[in-house]
Amino acid sequence: MTGLRAPHLPEPAIRARARDGTAAIFPDVEGYGRTLFGAVPAAGQAGDDLDQAQIVPPVFVPRRLEKLYELGREPLFGDVDLTTSIGGFTVPLPVFLCAFGSTQVADSALGLAASEQAGRLGIPMVIGENVVPMHGYGRSIDGPADGLLGRILAYSGAVPDGLGGVVVQQSTEDADAEVWNLVYSDPSATALLNTGRLAFELKVGQGAKPGLGGMTVLSRSAAAAVSGQYAVDEAFGPQAAMVLRSSSPGTFTGEILRQQVHLMRNNFPRARVWVKLHPGRDVRLAANVAWNAGADAVTVDGAEGGTGWAPSVFLQNVGLPLAECLRRIGKHDADLLVSGRVWEGSRVLKCLAMGASAAGLGRAALLAVSEDAADGLVRLVRCLELELRLLLSALGKYRLPDLDTADLWFPGQYDTTEEDRMP
Amino acid sequence: MTEILDSPVAASELPGELRAHLMSPVTHAALRIQNAIAMGSREYLARHGFVELFPPIIGPVTDPGVRGAKQIDVDFYGHKYKLMTSVILYKQASLLGFDKIFYLAPNVRLEPLETATTGRHLVEFHQLDVEVAGASREEILDLLEGLIRHTVSYVLRESEADLESLRRDREAFTPLLRDPFERFSHREAVAMLRGLRHGQSADAEIDWEGEKLISEQTNRPFFIVDYPKGSRGFTDGESSAEPGVLRNFDLIAPDGYGEMCSGGERTYEYRRLIERMRETGENPAKYAWYLDLARDGLPASAGFGLGLERFTRYLAGLDRVWQATAYPKLPGIATP
Repeated sequence: MTGLRAPHLPEPAIRARARDGTAAIFPDVEGYGRTLFGAVPAAGQAGDDLDQAQIVPPVFVPRRLEKLYELGREPLFGDVDLTTSIGGFTVPLPVFLCAFGSTQVADSALGLAASEQAGRLGIPMVIGENVVPMHGYGRSIDGPADGLLGRILAYSGAVPDGLGGVVVQQSTEDADAEVWNLVYSDPSATALLNTGRLAFELKVGQGAKPGLGGMTVLSRSAAAAVSGQYAVDEAFGPQAAMVLRSSSPGTFTGEILRQQVHLMRNNFPRARVWVKLHPGRDVRLAANVAWNAGADAVTVDGAEGGTGWAPSVFLQNVGLPLAECLRRIGKHDADLLVSGRVWEGSRVLKCLAMGASAAGLGRAALLAVSEDAADGLVRLVRCLELELRLLLSALGKYRLPDLDTADLWFPGQYDTTEEDRMP
Repeated sequence: MTEILDSPVAASELPGELRAHLMSPVTHAALRIQNAIAMGSREYLARHGFVELFPPIIGPVTDPGVRGAKQIDVDFYGHKYKLMTSVILYKQASLLGFDKIFYLAPNVRLEPLETATTGRHLVEFHQLDVEVAGASREEILDLLEGLIRHTVSYVLRESEADLESLRRDREAFTPLLRDPFERFSHREAVAMLRGLRHGQSADAEIDWEGEKLISEQTNRPFFIVDYPKGSRGFTDGESSAEPGVLRNFDLIAPDGYGEMCSGGERTYEYRRLIERMRETGENPAKYAWYLDLARDGLPASAGFGLGLERFTRYLAGLDRVWQATAYPKLPGIATP
C-alpha cells in the first residue's frame, strides 16, 4: 500500500475490494446468520444526483421470460451477458481504464501495474496526455520504460486475444511531440494496430477543470526542462521549491473539432478515433459534432471526475455533474463513455441506464493498484462485474442494451408512463 | 551500343545488398534518367523566369506530418529542430524575395511501417518544389502540365539509350505528350472508386489502394482537385466560394504508378492560418516565426511538390520507387 489518497471517494471500501475481491461486496460473512442487516439510511442524501438515484427492479419482468424461453430454465445472475463493444473494441464488460495524466500519482510503477492489470482484464486503457512530453516515450534513446511505450508493452503482454485496446490521448501541447505519429509508426504498436486495437483520443477537455488545460506541480528543475512547452508560474511563492505548470486548454469551435476528427481519420486510418470532452454546457452539441465527424466514441468526464490537481474553486464550482451531462446528451445512437467517481457496479449501471455505453475507472483504479500492485485492479473490477450481473438480473434484464431510464428513480420524480403501458 | 538488360525492372519488395544495388545497371539507368529529369525541369523553369534556391534542411518547424508520418527531431544547440518533411513554409516565405522560385529539396518523413512494401514510399526522398506568388490553382496546373510534358520530351530525347536498356515503351508517353491532362474533383474520384467497388471515404485522401486502382484506369497523368478539408494540412488553401473544399490537387500517374505530385493554393492570411492550424490540431505557438511573417503579410501563392523518385520510377517504368535512389531508405528498415 502506498500513501496515495482520494479523500472524496470511499477509499476504505475501494481498498477492501482491491484486497479481498468479491467477498468485499457483501456484508462480513462472519455475521451471516447472526446479524440482522437492513438498508443503510440515506445519510442526509450525501453525494451527487447519480448517488441519489435508486435502481428500481420491476415486479413484472417480460425480458426474463424471454431469457427463460432461451434457456429452458429460470435465469440467474450468471446468465447476464456483459460483453459489448465500446469505441470499436470488444470488451468483456462495459468498463475502461481512464487516462491518468502526468500528475505525480500516475507516475511510474502505478501506471505500469494498472496497465498490466487492465490488459489482463481485457478492458480498454486510455493513456493520458502529456505522458510523452513529461515522461518520454520510452524508446531506449529517449526515456525511461515507464513512459508510453512501457505502458503499451505491459498492456499488450497481458491482454487476451480479441479483447480490449489501447487509447493514446493527445492534447494541444502533445501535438508538438507528435505522440500519435510516433505511436502509429512504432513497431511496438504494430500488433495492436494489426488487430484493430489501437485508438487515438483527442483531448478537448477534462472533468476536474472544465475550461482549463492540464495543471501539475513540479520542482523548479523539472519545470525548467519543460518551460519551452508549458507556462510555469510561481503560484506557491518565490521561495517555494515547487512551481505550477499549466497547459493550454486549446481553442475549439464546431468547425475546429469537426476538422480535427476528419484529419485524425485521414492520417491514421487504421486507428479508432475517440474524443474526450469536458462537462461543458454545450456537451450535447459537441458530442454530436464529434460523432457526425466520424468519432468512434465520445468520452465525457463529469465535473466530479479527474485524477488531476485543480484549483479548489474549480473542484467546487465549475462544470456539469455527470448525471446532468447524461441528461443533456439524452438519446443517441453512438458510443458515449463516461467517468467520474466510478468505483462500483451501481454507478456504472446508472450511467448505462442513462445512455452511456461504458464507464471509466480513474482514481478508484489507482487506489486499487496502490493497495495491491499485483491484483488490486483485477479484484476491484471483478467486484464491479458481479454487482452488475446482480443488478441487471434483478431488473429482469440480461443484455446491456435493454437498460433504460425506467430502471432508475430519482427522488422526487415519478413517471407513470411505463405503468400506463402495462396491460 | 545499348545493352538490353534481362528482366530489367523486376524488383523484390525490399532492396538487397547495397553493393549489388550500386553496381546494378538498372540503378545506373534509373539515376541517369533522374539526372535528365532534373536538367529538363530546370531548363523549363529557367525559361519561365524561375529562380532556383537551395533548400533549408532543418528548422524549428516543418510541414506538419500528414497521413501518419512522423517528423525527425534534431538538437539545435538545445532547441528542438526538425528535418524538413517539406519546405512548404520556406517556399511561402521566399516569395517575399522572388515571385517565382523552386527548390530541388530533400525531404525526410518517418512514414508508417505499413508503407514499407507499397513500392511507392521512401523515408528520404526529393521534391521539385515550385511556388508562384499570386498564382491561382488553375495557372499552377497549366504550369505543371507544361513542365511534365517538357521534361518527358527531354528525357525521351536525352535518355534514349537508358530507356531502351530498361525496355521502357516510349509509346506509353504518347497520350501524355498529345492530350491535355484530365481534371477530376475529389468527389468524382470517390464516385469512380466506389463504381470500381472500392470503399473510398468521401472525407479523406484517396487511400493507397484507391490511388493505385484509379491510376490503372488511365493512359496519361491526370489531376484530382478539390480535396475536402480534413484530408490535408493547414497550408492547403480553402475555397472562399465553397467552404470545406480545398483549392488543392494531386497529380496521378497512369498505369498504377499513382500519385507523383501535390499542390494548390496556399493559406497565407494570418487569421485563416490560425484557424486552419487549430482545425488540423496544431499548436500555433510552435509556428511563431512563420506566423510573425504572416501577420505582417505573406503573398498569396500557389505551387506544388513533385516527387523526384516517383517521377523517375514512372518515366523509367520501374517496379518500385526504391530503385530510383542510390541509397534507399524504407519505413522501419535501417539501411545506409
